[in-house]
Amino acid sequence: MNTQQKESCPKYFEFFNSVKIISGYKALGNISSELDLLGAKRPIIITDKGVSKAGLIDHVVDSFGGTPVTIGALYDDTPIDSSNVAVNEIAGIYRQQECDSIIAVGGGSVIDTAKGVNIVISEETDDLMKFTGNNRLSKPMKPFIVIPTTAGTGSEVTMAAVIANPAQNVKMQFTSPLILPKVAVLDPVMTMSMPAKITAATAMDALTHAVEAYIGPQKNPVSDAFAFSAIELIKDNIISATKNGGDKDVRLAMANASLLAGVSFSNSMVGIVHALAHATGGLCHVPHGVANAILLPHGLEFYIRKSPETAGRIGKLLRFFIAPEDYAKVPIHERTKSTITAIRDINSNLNQLCGLPLTLTQAGVTKDKLESIAKAALNDGAIAFCPVEVSYEEALEVLQAAY
Amino acid sequence: MGNATIYREIEPSEKWLKTQITRLCLYFLGMGIETAYKNVPEVKKEMDSLPDTFSFCFTVLNGPSMMILKNGNRVKYVGEKESYHADLELVLKNIEFAYLMMTGRISTPDAIYHNRQFVRGNLGHMMLMIRVMNAAQALLFPNLLLRFYIKKVPRLTMRTMINRAKAYTNATIGFFA
Repeated sequence: MNTQQKESCPKYFEFFNSVKIISGYKALGNISSELDLLGAKRPIIITDKGVSKAGLIDHVVDSFGGTPVTIGALYDDTPIDSSNVAVNEIAGIYRQQECDSIIAVGGGSVIDTAKGVNIVISEETDDLMKFTGNNRLSKPMKPFIVIPTTAGTGSEVTMAAVIANPAQNVKMQFTSPLILPKVAVLDPVMTMSMPAKITAATAMDALTHAVEAYIGPQKNPVSDAFAFSAIELIKDNIISATKNGGDKDVRLAMANASLLAGVSFSNSMVGIVHALAHATGGLCHVPHGVANAILLPHGLEFYIRKSPETAGRIGKLLRFFIAPEDYAKVPIHERTKSTITAIRDINSNLNQLCGLPLTLTQAGVTKDKLESIAKAALNDGAIAFCPVEVSYEEALEVLQAAY
Repeated sequence: MGNATIYREIEPSEKWLKTQITRLCLYFLGMGIETAYKNVPEVKKEMDSLPDTFSFCFTVLNGPSMMILKNGNRVKYVGEKESYHADLELVLKNIEFAYLMMTGRISTPDAIYHNRQFVRGNLGHMMLMIRVMNAAQALLFPNLLLRFYIKKVPRLTMRTMINRAKAYTNATIGFFA
C-alpha cells in the first residue's frame, strides 16, 4: 500500500446526542439553576458508598446552599454491579419522598442504576425486564442530571444502560435516546480523589471507546470528530493524570476526553474489544477498564489480520500518538503496527506507574475460563459492530494472545 | 382567514409492490430458518440454547412480518402473526429500508450500522438470531449473491447444496399448501 486510504463518507448515518454539557471549574454551582430550568426542585441523589465516603457528595450538597432546592433523599447503597433490586428500591424511595428529579453522582454502575430508576419511574412500572432491548421506551423521562466521578465510562452521554437481574442471572441491556441525561456536569473536583490505578483503567476505557468508535463500521464524520478530540486529550493527559492526580487541569481534560469518547461510541458503537471485555468482566469480574486496556492491542491486531479497511483506519490513528514530523516519516504500511506499539507503550507506562495489568493472567483470569468468555462474547451486542464476522475460534484466539 | 378546504388532504399511496416483495422474502427467510434448524447442526445447537418456549418476530414497522416459534425441540415458521407478544422482535423502520435489504442492496450488517432497525427484547438472543438468519440466508441465496447479504460467505459444500434444495422444496410446498 503506497498511498494512505481515503476517508469515505458513509452512504447513510444517524447521530444523536441531546445532553447539555457543563464542564469546568465550579461547574457544580450550576446544578440548581439547571434543575430550575427543568422545573424541578426536589431531586433524589443516587450514589455509592465509595463516593459518599470520599466526601464527594458534600461538594454536591454544598452547591445547593442558598437555593430553593431540597434534596428529597440521598441513596448511597448502589452496588458495584447495578441491579434491578437496587433500581426498584430506589424507585420506591423516590416515590415515597415525592422527589421530582434524579441526580446520579458516581461511575458507570451508579449512572446505569439511575437510568434504570428513571425508566421505572417514568414508565410507571416495577418490571424493568419489559423494557430490555433498544427503543422500547416511549414516555418522557424525569429530569436527570449526571455528575461523573470517574473519567472513562462516558455513561453521562450514552443512551445505554446495563443492569443485572440476579434472580434470572442475566444482564439486561437498555438502549434508547430517551434515557440520555438532560445535563452532564464535569467538575474536576469530582475526579480528584480517584486512585492512580482506577484513573489509569478508566482512561484506557475511554481510549478504547474512542479507538473502537473510529475504526468501527458505524462510524461517521460527526462521531469521528468526537473520537479524534478524545484520543488527543487522552494521549496528552493519561500519564500525568495517573502520576499526579492532584492536577485539576489534567483531571478536567480527562473528564472531557471521557465524555467526548462517550458521545462518539454511543453513536458509532464499539467492537470486538468491548465484546470480549464485557464477557471477561461478567465471568471473571475483571474491571471493565482493565479488560479493555489488556484487550485493545490484541483486538486491533485481529482487525489488521482480517480487515484491510480497518487496518488502514488504525494506521491513521498514529498521528495522535506521535509528533507530526515523526508521523510523516513512518511508511504507510508500518503505521498500523506503530499505532498498536504506541498503545502498548501507554499500557507499559501505566503498568510501571500503578500496576495496571498487561495480561489476562495478571488480571486474575484463569485459562479454563477463556472458552466461556469467547462463547459469551459472541452474544454480546458489540459483536454485531465488528467490521468482520467473528467466530468462536477467532474470539478465543484473541483471548489466548492476551492471556 | 382562508378557506381550509382548498388545501387538499393527501393520503400517500401504498407501496404495494415493495410490500409484497418484502412479504415474499420474509416468507422465504422464515422457511429458511425452519429448514436450517432441521438440517444444519450449528443452527440447531444455537437455537436449542434459547428458552424452550420462544418466539421471534422479524417485522417492518406498520408492514409485513414473519414469526418463528420455538417449542421444545420444534422450530416452526408460523407466518404473519401479531408481533406484540413476541419474546424477541427485530423491527425495520420502514418499507423502503426493508425493500433495499431484502433485495440485497443493503446487507444485514449495513442495516444494523445504519440504524435502520431496532430490537425489542434480549440483545444476546438477537445476536444469536442474527447468526441463525445468516445461516438461513446461506441456504436461500447462491454464493455469488450471498456477499450482498451477509459478512462472511461460507464455503460451498455438497451439504449446503442439498440443504438449499430442501429449503426451496419446503418453501415451495409451504407456499402452495
